[in-house]
Amino acid sequence: MFDTKDFMAHTRALRNVLKRNSETLALINKLAATLALEIYIEDSEGTSLLGTKLNLKNKHSLCDAELNYGALYSHDTSGEFLAEFVSFLVKKELEKKKIGQEVLGLYREINMIYNFSEMISEKIDDASIAVTALQEACQIINSTHGIFLVYEPEENRVIEMAAIGDNPNSDYNISDQSSMLKELILRGTAAIVPVERIKSNPALGHLKTVMYAPLKVKHRTLGMIILGHQDEVEFTAAELKLLTTIALQSAAAIESAQLYQKGLKEARDREEAIKKIHEVSQKFVPHEFIKSLGKDKLTEVALGDQVEREVTVMFTDIRGFTALSERLAPKENFLFINSFNKRMGPIIRNNEGFIMQYLGDGFMAIFPNGSQNALRASVEMHLALKSYNKERSAKKRSLVQIGIGMQNGKLIMGITGDVERMDAAIISDTVNTASRIEGLSKHYGTSILLTDLCKNNLSHPEEFDFRYLGPVQVQGKNKPIDLYECINGDDPELRNHKLETLSTFEHGMELYFNKEFAMAAVTFQQIVKLNRDDHTAKLFLNRAAHLITQEIGDDWKGVESITKK
Amino acid sequence: MKQKLLIVDDESHIRMLIEQTLEDLEDDGVELLFAENGEQALEVIQREEPNLVFLDVMMPKMNGMEVCHKVKKELNLSHVYIILLTAKGQEVDRQKGLDMGADRYMTKPFDPDEMLSIAEEILNR
Repeated sequence: MFDTKDFMAHTRALRNVLKRNSETLALINKLAATLALEIYIEDSEGTSLLGTKLNLKNKHSLCDAELNYGALYSHDTSGEFLAEFVSFLVKKELEKKKIGQEVLGLYREINMIYNFSEMISEKIDDASIAVTALQEACQIINSTHGIFLVYEPEENRVIEMAAIGDNPNSDYNISDQSSMLKELILRGTAAIVPVERIKSNPALGHLKTVMYAPLKVKHRTLGMIILGHQDEVEFTAAELKLLTTIALQSAAAIESAQLYQKGLKEARDREEAIKKIHEVSQKFVPHEFIKSLGKDKLTEVALGDQVEREVTVMFTDIRGFTALSERLAPKENFLFINSFNKRMGPIIRNNEGFIMQYLGDGFMAIFPNGSQNALRASVEMHLALKSYNKERSAKKRSLVQIGIGMQNGKLIMGITGDVERMDAAIISDTVNTASRIEGLSKHYGTSILLTDLCKNNLSHPEEFDFRYLGPVQVQGKNKPIDLYECINGDDPELRNHKLETLSTFEHGMELYFNKEFAMAAVTFQQIVKLNRDDHTAKLFLNRAAHLITQEIGDDWKGVESITKK
Repeated sequence: MKQKLLIVDDESHIRMLIEQTLEDLEDDGVELLFAENGEQALEVIQREEPNLVFLDVMMPKMNGMEVCHKVKKELNLSHVYIILLTAKGQEVDRQKGLDMGADRYMTKPFDPDEMLSIAEEILNR
């Protein structure tokens, strides 16, 4: 029996033969003319397709076996032959349609796979690939349930990456049957599961039909996709083929996602390692130094890189370290120095400076952005030292004192050495002077000693209190240097004393430079009387007292000449 | 009046695919017309004035862009709705096609269901 669909198809084919295809129509007309036949063709509903009916009495059926889809009329029986010919053309047209339908089906499949590949290739993590692949598979292949599984050989387990559809029997889950799944995955084949096997597996009890396909890449199977339907819908071989294609595409995407993630992780690890090396190298060559060379990373600097900068060079030294260290074992000595440096380092960095060199019992620091930073750091260092001393005092340890000296000037920072062994180096006379100024702080009994160049370079001098200590002739320098004491790092009691006697001190200095040594000595004596820890006043008292009995020439300018380092 | 739909592609299998895709429209009285190159397309469009044309871009003799330009800009047949068909990866032509007066764009491989629903939507307007 023919159904309506077949009937419609035949009617449409007849119409196509006579209406759409001009070549076949011409051929039919030519044959009719040759046979001297008048013809009329209509479909089964009586719709005229060719010619006019008029008095044509002989009706010849246009049919396929028992299906009658139209008629050809002629004035005599010879129209029979033409009716057979038209039926033949309709048959051929139907065959062409059938092929067309098959091609369209394949085209539909190609289009779906094309879209699927495009969608999946945009994903870079295997979890979203799994979810998208399963959603698409369930949609393309009519299915109510699906699971996307991946086998992890290292952990020997099967992981459910995505799942679609409810399982009413939650006591049994297909994902729990890992040994069976592993076996299927490793087998690497696709199949439609026989009905009896579905029925015998309680985890598949809610499904009527099930099929699976492996996630294959080259010779490996990464996992599998399982699809199922809860209704009596049989999966076809074509659908299994489609699922296999989807699984292949997914496997390729998963593999490239895994490679991408692996590459990403390796790149991150490399970056992390480089960062660590960079961080460590920064501890040896300060970042500020590299920055001063106009570079960002140590790897960017090259032998011969150099820059001349106006900087403040600060030296600091632990007073009486030799005596202190004699009482300590070498290891304790080292621990003590480290404990001291650990406190001071951050202060230097916080004030935009860097420690250029550790000198055993002290260090040299450079402040590229001026003496304001250096002086702030010096005061903070003294304050930090006070709290350190409190801790030491509680532990019955001897107290630590430091001296700080600084000078401003030009300095060349650069990379020296050879291609195999390089080091950050500075070349400058400022370094020698700064070191000497620090040495003088001991001589003058000051906690912070600086030169006029440093003082003049301060952006906010009002933050600090100073006492002018006169000029000094430093060894190796032609011109004397004016020295200032900064009192802000002193103990509060001593600082208050110095502030209260500041004008007296300045008056004493004036008398001293005016060679009125007796008066100067009396003035300094007044100051010392008030606080015997004012070593600077004591120094000038002694100098003035000494000069009272000395012959002083006209060229005496009060320049102190220091010959020792 | 009977609605007409013209399918223009130089590849016979594509013509056949589109025909298969749009065949159901014939049941609603839509007449399907065919052309296998640009010149033929232009001739059919002038003669039949179809309501909708699926027009392939890459064709010998006269390409789809030229056909589109002639129909829309020179022959003033602006009521002929033209959908340009081009291969995926040649989307750069999209703007050019629209500049030529095309009403819409579709890429090949096309989704048959989408093509049918677009055709229905346009013919039912």
